[in-house]
Parts: sequence; C-alpha cells; structure tokens
Amino acid sequence: MLVELKVNGEPRSADVPPETTLLKMLREQLGLTGAKLGCDVGDCGTCTVIVDGVSVNSCLMLAARANGADVTTIEGLANSNELHPLQEKFEEHGALQCGFCGPGMLMSAKNLLDKNPEPSVFEIRDALAGNLCRCTGYTKIIEAVIDAGRAMNSAQTSA
Amino acid sequence: MRPLEYIVPESAAAAVALLAEHGETACPLAGGTDLVVDLKHSPGNIHVLVDVSGLDEFRGIEETDEGLRIGSMVTYGEIMEHPICLEKTPEVVAASHTVGAVQTRNLGTIGGNLVTCVPSADSAPALMVLDAEVTVAGTDGNRRMPIEEFFVGPRKTVLEPHELLVDIWIPKRNLGKPSSFYKFGLRKGQALALVNAAAALTLEEGKLVEPRIALGAVAPTPLRALEAEAFLAGQAPTQDIIAEAADIAVTEAKPIDDFRASADYRRQLIKTLTRRVLTRSVEIASAG
Repeated sequence: MLVELKVNGEPRSADVPPETTLLKMLREQLGLTGAKLGCDVGDCGTCTVIVDGVSVNSCLMLAARANGADVTTIEGLANSNELHPLQEKFEEHGALQCGFCGPGMLMSAKNLLDKNPEPSVFEIRDALAGNLCRCTGYTKIIEAVIDAGRAMNSAQTSA
Repeated sequence: MRPLEYIVPESAAAAVALLAEHGETACPLAGGTDLVVDLKHSPGNIHVLVDVSGLDEFRGIEETDEGLRIGSMVTYGEIMEHPICLEKTPEVVAASHTVGAVQTRNLGTIGGNLVTCVPSADSAPALMVLDAEVTVAGTDGNRRMPIEEFFVGPRKTVLEPHELLVDIWIPKRNLGKPSSFYKFGLRKGQALALVNAAAALTLEEGKLVEPRIALGAVAPTPLRALEAEAFLAGQAPTQDIIAEAADIAVTEAKPIDDFRASADYRRQLIKTLTRRVLTRSVEIASAG
C-alpha cells in the first residue's frame, strides 16, 4: 500500500506491505537509519520519532497509520550548519557512551523540551522512562538535557 | 501466510460491518501497542486489520449534562493533558500516567487498554470507583453497561468479535469526587502493576457516603471490593475502620502466584494500598 507522509519537512512516500512498521519504512524504504531497531516491542525507545507533535515508538506504529502525518526523526534535528542544542550538550557532557540509545534519547528529550522548556529532574526522568541506556549512563544524559533546556531558553531570551 | 489487508473504515457502523463480514480473521487496530507486537511474533489467524483509531465517534473528550465522555480511541497522553480530565478526574489522569512510558502512552488508547482486558490494566480501578459505564457498538446498535460488566476474564470482555468499544462515561455526580489511585510496580516506568488500587468517597457530616474501592492484578478481572465498601458506608473514617476495610478487601481478592509476585505478597500489598487510597481520599474529602 502507498504511504505518503512528510519526514523532516520533506514529502516522502513508499509502497509497503500493511504490516510494515513506521520504523521499517523509515530505515529500509526511506534510507533514514537514525532511528534504531532495538527491542522491536516498545520497551527500549531507541526507535523514538515524533509524529504530529508527539513522540512514539516507531516500532509499534504501522506505517499505514502514519499516512499523511508529519514525522520528525533524529535526522531532522540538526541543520546543515549547526547541531541542535540537545546534540551539542549531549556531546559536551559526554552523555553518549555506545550511542545506540542516543537517537531515541534525543527525540524524547526534544519532545519534552518542546512542551516544557524548564523541566525538573523528576520531569526529565519521567520523560526518558521509555528510553533504556544499556551502558547505564543516565546521569550525564539528564545533566545534558537540563543544560540544553537552559541554553535554549537563554537563546530565546536574548533573541 | 495470506497477505494482510489494512482498511480504514469511514464510520463505526462500517467498522462493525467489516468485522462481522470477516469474522475472526479480522481484528480492530487501536493504538497497536499490543497488536503490532502480536503481528510480528504470533499473528495467528489475523488477515484483516480494521483501523478504528481515527474514527470520530471513538475520539474526543467532552463534558455533557450526563457527565464526562472519553472516546475509546483517546490516548493516555491526551487524557493526561486534557484540562477537563485534569480538573474533574485527576486520578484517571494519575492512573494514565503510570501506564508504560511517554511513547507508549502517546500511542496506547484507554479503550484499547480496557478491551485487552489484562487484570493489571491501570485505567480500570480509577474508572470503576467513579461508577464509569461503557458504550459498545454492534450490528444492532449501541448498548451501555457498567464497566465491571464489561470485564469477563483475563483477556476476555463481553465484546463479540464484531463489536467495538465506543466510549467511556463517568456520571456527572462523580466528577470531582474525592478519589485516589496507587500503583505498585517494580519500577516507576515501564512496569506492570503487582497490585493497583483506587478509592473514591464523599463525606457527609463526617460519615462516608458511596465509598468505592477497586483493585487490579488481584483477580481474573479488575475487582470492586463490594464487601469492604458496604462495611465503610455510613461509618466515620477512622484509621481503625479503614484498616478493617482493608482487611475485608484482602478476603475479597483472589490473587495468584506468578513470576512478578507471590499471592501472599499481593495480599500484603492489597492491605497496604487499600489503606493508602482510602486515607488519601478521606484527606481530600476533608479538605473539601
């Protein structure tokens, strides 16, 4: 079946069998391999993308359900000139170890900061509860999200 | 395997007709957080997916003269952000918040959770203590029933294969009723309840009126502790009375041993959580 959607602002489409997940379509049809295939049952969160303004496990969403939707993946976070503040701060804090959870962590953190620019540590932990880091490096991830929130707020205030 | 067919019906009636036509080879798709996993690992006999997640009749949250209507295809994420739910049914919001994690709550629907009908469903106790009712659509039109009657057994509801859950109603008299929900899982996120519990009650001249207690993961279906409720009605809610009601609730439950917890541990949890949700509800009622 034909699935047409907008990915990172660009209209994209692919002809896929109905059981195809959005994750599979992004990775195998659209060549966007940023979102990772981890557990494939909705536990680990490394497949997290944002669909019509809310974060979802793309391994649990059929591509057909995303027909007509606006999808943002990790590839849409940076532009060609600069990293997103979250990416900068993750780098600065050494928040990624093996990096496999990174795309999902960053998209969940973006989903949080878009709605709540000054989250508490509790709110960050709650927002990242669906993203597992098997290196167990959560402390630096949380520090990076706090710092990114601050950077984004001060950038907005000074603009 | 026969290729899968994916259909987006135009109305609830069309969805029911499709399900009736294809019989047990068809399955309605809601949030997909369980079904998509099943399709990957044990697709069984499913050949037709009827995507009901976007149907207008199953969507939306509204307050009417009758009460609060929550469409079955409303996601947990939507409930958590909805101003009417936050104000009038804060413990349904609290229960929603304990489900899965952000991404699964943005996909998973309250109706899907009820239809999947696992004994640990977190939305169930919070809705049951508010005397929620559910509407079911079938080939002969819609029927309405108390939510307790909807649950039949583990993963089994009253729904015929072609029937669909339309919406959930919380009667007007119970909007804002003092209530409390508590879930005990092994982690705060991404964990199923070992036991969950909810209470709702009002106080009139210091006496309990319409006390409600509901428990999850302690019996084949989410359970109302009717004997404990009957014991509480008309009493002043002292700590001793609440403790006695919790002991009665333990005798009403039929917890099992499984890999998450022993039945004995669950009985301890029922006692503690029942006391906790009753005490909290009384505090809210007393604060008026």
